Amino acid sequence: MNKKLMIGFSIIATTILMFGCSSEKAPETTEQPAATATAPAGTPVDQATVGTVTGKITFTGAKPKLAVIHMDQDPVCVAKHKSPVHVEDGEVNENGTLPNVFVYVKDGADKYAWPTPTEAVTLDQNGCMYQPHVVGVQVDQTLHIVSSDATTHNIHPQPKDNREWNESQAPGAPALDKTFARSEIMIPVKCNQHPWMRAYIGVTKNPLFAVSGSDGTFTIKGLPPGDYTLGAWSATFGTQEQKVTVAPKESKTVDFSFKG
Amino acid sequence: MPDAPEKDPIVGRSLAGYFVIAAFLLIFSLSWSLYDEFFGLRPWKGYERRFATLYASLLKKEIPRQEKAEKAIENSPDYQALEKQVKDAHDAAAPQLTQIHEQTAAIDGKIAAVLGTLTNERARVGSMIYVAEHTPDGPGRTSLEHNLDMYKKGPFTLNGPSFAGKTFTFEELENEFANLQTEKGKLQQQEGDILKPQGEAAKKLRAYLHDHLNGLSAEQLRGLLNKAETMAIEIKQINIPDAGVVDRCESCHLGIREPVLLTRQNMGGDKDPMSAAFTSHPDMELLQIHDPDKYGCTPCHNGNGMQVDSVAMGHGEYEHWLWPLYHKANMQAGCQQCHASDMVVDHAPELTEGKRLLQWKGCIGCHRFQGYDSEPEDLVANQQQILQMETERADDLRNAQRDIDAGDHAADNATARQDYTDADALRVASSKVSMQLDQLEVKAKYLMMGRKKVGPDLKEVRVKIRPEWIPVWLKNPHAWRPTTKMPRFRLDDDDIEDISAYLWQTAIQTTLSHQAPGDPVKGKESFETRGCMGCHSVGEGANQVGGWFAANLTRVGEKDNYDFLVRWIHNPRERTRPYCPFEKRDITDEDYKKHGLPPYTFDLNHTKCPNDGHEMVVEQMTVMPNLRLSWDEARDIASYLETLKRPDATYAAAPFMNNPKLKEEGKKKIRFYGCAGCHEIEGMEDEGRIGTELTAEGSKPLEQIDFALYIREAKNEDWYSHKGFFEHKLAKPEMYDKGMIKTEAEELKMPDFFEPVSSKVTEGMPDLAPADQKQISELTTFLMGSVTSEIPQRYWYLPADQRRDVQDGWWLVKKYNCEGCHQFKVGQDSVLMDIPRYQTPEWKDQLPPKLLTEGARVNPEWLAKFLSNPAMSDTDTDRDGVRPYLKVRMPTFYFSPIEVRKLVRFFQAMSSQPMPYISPRLDPLTPKELEMARALFTSRAAPCLKCHATGDATHDKFATAPNFLLAPERLKPDWTKHWILDPAMISPGTAMPSGLFKTQDGHNVFAGPTPPIFNGYTGDQADLLVRYMFEITPEEQRKLTGLSANSMKQTTEKQEGPNAHARPTLIGMLVKAH
Repeated sequence: MNKKLMIGFSIIATTILMFGCSSEKAPETTEQPAATATAPAGTPVDQATVGTVTGKITFTGAKPKLAVIHMDQDPVCVAKHKSPVHVEDGEVNENGTLPNVFVYVKDGADKYAWPTPTEAVTLDQNGCMYQPHVVGVQVDQTLHIVSSDATTHNIHPQPKDNREWNESQAPGAPALDKTFARSEIMIPVKCNQHPWMRAYIGVTKNPLFAVSGSDGTFTIKGLPPGDYTLGAWSATFGTQEQKVTVAPKESKTVDFSFKG
Repeated sequence: MPDAPEKDPIVGRSLAGYFVIAAFLLIFSLSWSLYDEFFGLRPWKGYERRFATLYASLLKKEIPRQEKAEKAIENSPDYQALEKQVKDAHDAAAPQLTQIHEQTAAIDGKIAAVLGTLTNERARVGSMIYVAEHTPDGPGRTSLEHNLDMYKKGPFTLNGPSFAGKTFTFEELENEFANLQTEKGKLQQQEGDILKPQGEAAKKLRAYLHDHLNGLSAEQLRGLLNKAETMAIEIKQINIPDAGVVDRCESCHLGIREPVLLTRQNMGGDKDPMSAAFTSHPDMELLQIHDPDKYGCTPCHNGNGMQVDSVAMGHGEYEHWLWPLYHKANMQAGCQQCHASDMVVDHAPELTEGKRLLQWKGCIGCHRFQGYDSEPEDLVANQQQILQMETERADDLRNAQRDIDAGDHAADNATARQDYTDADALRVASSKVSMQLDQLEVKAKYLMMGRKKVGPDLKEVRVKIRPEWIPVWLKNPHAWRPTTKMPRFRLDDDDIEDISAYLWQTAIQTTLSHQAPGDPVKGKESFETRGCMGCHSVGEGANQVGGWFAANLTRVGEKDNYDFLVRWIHNPRERTRPYCPFEKRDITDEDYKKHGLPPYTFDLNHTKCPNDGHEMVVEQMTVMPNLRLSWDEARDIASYLETLKRPDATYAAAPFMNNPKLKEEGKKKIRFYGCAGCHEIEGMEDEGRIGTELTAEGSKPLEQIDFALYIREAKNEDWYSHKGFFEHKLAKPEMYDKGMIKTEAEELKMPDFFEPVSSKVTEGMPDLAPADQKQISELTTFLMGSVTSEIPQRYWYLPADQRRDVQDGWWLVKKYNCEGCHQFKVGQDSVLMDIPRYQTPEWKDQLPPKLLTEGARVNPEWLAKFLSNPAMSDTDTDRDGVRPYLKVRMPTFYFSPIEVRKLVRFFQAMSSQPMPYISPRLDPLTPKELEMARALFTSRAAPCLKCHATGDATHDKFATAPNFLLAPERLKPDWTKHWILDPAMISPGTAMPSGLFKTQDGHNVFAGPTPPIFNGYTGDQADLLVRYMFEITPEEQRKLTGLSANSMKQTTEKQEGPNAHARPTLIGMLVKAH
């Protein structure tokens, strides 16, 4: 189009267009709810109303035959034990219950605030075995790894969701303080130099967990009243879940039964 | 009064009404055209205005947020400490600075005073010199010179506070000025030195803010805001003349390379249609590599870059534009035109998959594609050259003989000499040809080593397969084995009988050596741990475990002869008979016998035809490598596989197999369907590819693509496009035969690669499983991108440096499925890594090594040897040369030297290592250092020998790491040092622990207690160990294990008492062993 002509017309056009064209609408800015960078702090737990869950891990079926660990490749390990050492996974207590079952609140506690405990959880390497065999920490809680052995170990957790690391600990070396940033059930831990050594670390978002002992019982304290799903994890016999409702200050019993 | 004229019937009628209407029409059309001019045809203006508003409001929200973040950082103790440093430095410098400034000011005053006089006097002196110089010699000149000298003596008086009437000669003035300048320079230098600490502290402060602030700073954001608010509403254009690119895409896609992440949510929300145009480019890293100012938009994305009239036109989605914007699902097609030489294209996983599928699925069996599977063509060319040169040589020799004869009977000596010279020239020429022929034969051998077929050798069908299975398989391979690569040819019963009969009757007839049954339990363990599952799977349906690269072996026992299966597992490359490409037939024992030679056995060193001396095909053309298993283990695995078959499977007898009347018809059909593209078939070794070449298939104009009777339907259903054609063709090739009047021979031959899961058809597409749809989409992406590029070649990715080696290497990595076992890049899991067995801590250590930094780790010469012979031995082959402790085995691939070279260069290039590699000379250990290294190696605190193999069988039972003896030849010292300092940095998840060393006084020191001999040693202990490792010899290692045993024994006795002797210790056994 001829430009001069166009300019001429545009004067008329502007008048006409006054009717036809609504003025440019000021674009409304769509206000998106800004995602809060930090997670909601959660409700603080009222310590006056918390309850407790206790229970027993029973076992039915044939007891697995536990293999003897041969520590021959490191005399330092051999010397620490006077009797043969058996593999811990698959162990059944004398009374027919299971030790080393990790019981934790799988669901139902996320609405509360669970500040990271300041005290550390200790994992010892003694006689080329981890003590304890199953251990729980809260997210970001310190795991204090020490060695009571006169040989070099390396601590090698093999997580799925956390970052993997593998660090050497020579005899007399300072303890390793480590934290895990993400909850994970369970992280196996090994020592590459003593391949029989095995521990499991349960990392949870709250301190509501327990490991069954040599009598097969466990106690989880400090549960605010509410509905929960409890998870129970055994290295050999799988995992289970149970729902439980805890009333204020109530002591509930939840038993788990694993089959061989 | 005159009569009123007769009323003109035309004039008399008022036309005002029409004019009004016409005027309105005119105004309407005018305003319409103006509207169109300014708005209708310029939709981008609206986009630009809206973008500017939205972007500005986004930035306005972002700026306070970022200011807050900056404030938070500024309030952090670290920042404030740094800030204090700046202030302290400033304060510390202040008094000196003030002094210097005062001094400078004083000097400046003096300079000004001097300069005021000096400038004038210089001019005057200058003019006097000029006048004197231009006066001829004589008294006049002398007088002038005298005047000059007198003038220069001055005196010149300087006034002002600093000089207070002091007088100077001209020279003194000049000197005074120079001195003052020097003094000022010194002061300035002093000032710089004083300001330096402050400047450095301020730099640290800025760096701290930059390192801790996520995203752009508030100041940068304000800059962007200013840009957005003052943005001119105009067409934004990229113009690249040599590529013919004029792209105005950014007139609407305004945020595509803004440094702030723009999403639909923060740019107007999902409901605003414009917000889709305003987002950031989804792969900013990719955009950084391909700067739009240099590459434009449409070369990668297609569409009509010049058009801005409407969205559809800009995207090229209209009838008159041939190359519309790539569909979102096929966007990566655009990478292909410049990345045709790559097998693996970073940032384009779908295209990469498409490229791999073309090879893996066997498309290249029928379709030529530049860059793929070039060996057969190269071999044909090579063979022709050989034949031609042989003729040439024969001619030369014959002519030479003629010349000699002529010379013998020549009339005179001169002629004879000339004849003999000619003969010699011909003989020398023929010897040159002979040498060239040798080279061509070597080339043929290497090409044959690299030549692979997608499917198995059907000449072996009689020794391998049970006859009744063949028709079942041909009918529908997917029905028998759903995961197979073999497509379904639409064969009727006659076809099947004919084809089966030909294959059966032409196959090699021989009896394989009989194999005793093996142990299936052991075989299962071997199958699951030797690495078979990196490629193969077992189990059907949901129970399937293992790799996808090779066949699912669940039903192999139903079809394979056990004896053959054992031979195959023992060495899949073994062939019953070699094939001579010159005689065009299989060579039998008779042929060897004729020449007094023993019968053929699998051997890559004796590959020449006994009859004509040419290179023969002596290997099966399978990519399956030789795992170097014992015959026993091969029998165990075969026996295990036999147990997986369906117990109730029955196959009808196939008597037609031996009907000689069917054979000829079968041959025709095999040729028709192009079976020899993927299989070796008797009499069809030289068959070419029967399909159309696909290298530039995406460039074919749509009109030339045969939609058959589907054009109307495709247009209605919106799949009349390259994408639509490829997808339908791949999903159901025979659909384009529908309704066409064709003879059987004219029907489309392309077989069905995918089976629908139901009979439902949507827009012509059969109902396919999601995994199949994905493959079709990936292949479509690749084919759409396979075009004759219109972009100048300089844009193509054809690197001449190390990146070329990376490019070449990936073809081989994909060809042999190295990724089944190995990891090459972080995030790329091998098949084995994801298999359930390898999830436990025990089995994770049994995974094949990661190859993330392989080029930096190993000496390329060693790597070449290892790749050729992973057992690292010619006699003891049932083992892994580097990691004998692994159950999984690095197999022998019988790589051709060409392939070995490519792989070695690939690894070096992947780690940016220069080629060739020159090993650095390490300082030899002093006797004391040797003793120290030994002490450290054998100390309890240093765990080296707990995991690393020593070659002693008892010890190596527990070994989980390679023998140090390999280090000098295999490793690079620099890498080794990095490795022992922090192995997890190099190979995440490795069994080798970190934290073995700590830093002390700038040196690496062993983290555990060191033996007493280390007291006072100031050297780097990591270096010491590396130097020791590169000196280690078998004798030294024996000494070491002995020492280690002693130290262990002593410890045990000393610390733990006699109880320790209750068990035999490993080290005790070691001592006995030596």
